Amino acid sequence: MSSLFSPEIRQKIEHYLQRYETRRSAILPILHCIQDEYGWVKEEHVLALEEHYQLPRVQVEEVLTFYSMYRQQEPKQFRLMLCDNLVCTMMGYKEVDSAIRGHLQEYQHKGKDCPFSLEKVPCLGVCDGAPAMLINKTRHLNLDANNVVAILKNCDTLATGT
Amino acid sequence: MEKPKIVTRFAGLADSRSLDTYLRHDGYQALHKALAMKPAELIELVKASGLRGRGGAGFPTGLKWSFVPKDAPEKYLLCNNDEGEPGTFKDRYILELSPHMLVEGMIISAYAIGAQKAYIYTRCEFYEEIAWMEQAIHEAYRHGYLGANILGSKFSFDLDHYGGAGAYICGEETGLISSLEGKKGQPKLKPPFPALSGYLNKPTVVNNTETLAVIPWIVQHGPEKYRAIGTEKSPGTKLFCISGPVKRPGVYELPLGYPLQKFIEDDAGGLRDGKTLKAVIPGGASAPVLTADEVAKVTLDYESMANAKTMLGSGAVIVIPEGQSMVELLKVTVDFFHHESCGQCTPCREGTGWLSNVMHGIYQRKAKLKDVEKMIAIANNMEGRTICALSDACAMPTRAIATKFGDEIRSYIQRGNHG
Ligand SMILES: Cc1cc2nc3c(=O)[nH]c(=O)nc-3n(C[C@H](O)[C@H](O)[C@H](O)COP(=O)(O)O)c2cc1C
Ligand code: SF4
Ligand code: FES
Repeated sequence: MSSLFSPEIRQKIEHYLQRYETRRSAILPILHCIQDEYGWVKEEHVLALEEHYQLPRVQVEEVLTFYSMYRQQEPKQFRLMLCDNLVCTMMGYKEVDSAIRGHLQEYQHKGKDCPFSLEKVPCLGVCDGAPAMLINKTRHLNLDANNVVAILKNCDTLATGT
Repeated sequence: MEKPKIVTRFAGLADSRSLDTYLRHDGYQALHKALAMKPAELIELVKASGLRGRGGAGFPTGLKWSFVPKDAPEKYLLCNNDEGEPGTFKDRYILELSPHMLVEGMIISAYAIGAQKAYIYTRCEFYEEIAWMEQAIHEAYRHGYLGANILGSKFSFDLDHYGGAGAYICGEETGLISSLEGKKGQPKLKPPFPALSGYLNKPTVVNNTETLAVIPWIVQHGPEKYRAIGTEKSPGTKLFCISGPVKRPGVYELPLGYPLQKFIEDDAGGLRDGKTLKAVIPGGASAPVLTADEVAKVTLDYESMANAKTMLGSGAVIVIPEGQSMVELLKVTVDFFHHESCGQCTPCREGTGWLSNVMHGIYQRKAKLKDVEKMIAIANNMEGRTICALSDACAMPTRAIATKFGDEIRSYIQRGNHG
């Protein structure tokens, strides 16, 4: 059995393969589980799923590339997912976006490794708290140019290895 | 106007999500009642209530259930909790208030259509809400509301949760089915409709979270009580999400037929910071915009919205203040649909791409005045010719903004051309 996955992950994969009517339905939850553990889904993970669990590579890759939450690149510690949809746009998304970019540029100036990646995402379903952003799995609401920088600075102090 | 509380009866209760609280407020009483009825009687009851699907299209729920073949050995019920329509956050609120309401609604609905298995398909970004829902499912199993021989009856039923992975198109019912099958979330050609051939080609009912969550109340209080609320063609209450610069954004339960202007001014407190109303998108990003004058004339129900050439949709009321650029909102709208098109149908794939291109030209003021007409012409060619309704969902709001705010867009372009 592959030593690529920890025993705990192997157990979860087995569980998902049993849980639904078809093994194929397990692909989405298995990829979520791999990403939660390793931060992203590597090619070797895809190969291992085919080799050890008979999940065809084409099927796994179809899912991996179609859905925007899966990552195929080594992630930064903090994944910023900022909503750029209708309500957030009206409520000040652009100011929040510039403030975030400004903060991220400081790392460049100082020649430091940046622990953040920034993505624009569609409506997060929390428009009553617009502008809104997810940082990894945590929601941040009612953002503005000031409070978003405070949130990022708070992440900085948590950041490891910087 | 009276505002009966059906879904929001749990608002403000301490520990509103717990099973204890749910039971203290008549929770799972409707299930007892339902299991003593015949499935066909339940379908008739829901038909008589006049309940219409709350996911956007407003299709009569009881009628949809009646399409499911009685004698099929394997059937499924799927809850559409994908909530991706921009401006919408009501299904999230149901899980925040009382996930047991949804669980009970699903058990009753599954019994009515004869499904042995159901899934709640939720967008994965609802991390906390998913945990609450899983907790409720777990409690329901422990107390014998789920599993084999529910409450000592002959009915056995399993309920599970399934998480999406970031794709608006998985909110379209056949896209949702593809996704649950472990594939990319591409919609499938209808017919066959899911009621005959859905998940794994088995008869399947897909209903929105809010639709399923009101079923226990309807069963317990009877269809007449539900029909007594709302209008003749739009019975009952509905959750409305109001967002934008109003004093009290959030989710409100209102009887259908409630005046839109009153909702904005009285319930949501009106616009804040001295802003004035410019326009409203009444039913999520897919719904054609209403000007401030039109807002004053419409009520929140399916027929009034249709008369005004827009739609109630998911109940997402997006308030737009004077000073907000419609060029910017149109650009966000077409970019969104372009990004979310699954690419299977040419009119949708090419149309959304073309709209996005022309719009970027306009936004950068590198456009001609007649590009506004070009937007409308492209939109006209995207409708009614595709596998799913996403193409229409892009065309309708585009045409409405380009028509009703054409002068604003043209003067925006002109300002650029004159430096
Ligand atoms: C592009 C697109 C996205 C949709 N997104 C959702 C959604 O997020 N949630 C939902 O309940 N219905 C959504 N729908 C509507 C569903 O296809 C379907 O009509 C609905 O789930 C049926 O449930 P109901 O009859 O209870 O409303 C969407 C439709 C389209 C065309
Ligand atoms: S209309 Fe658009 S989103 Fe819908 S199936 Fe066709 S290409 Fe995909
Ligand atoms: S538009 Fe940003 S959360 Fe809905």
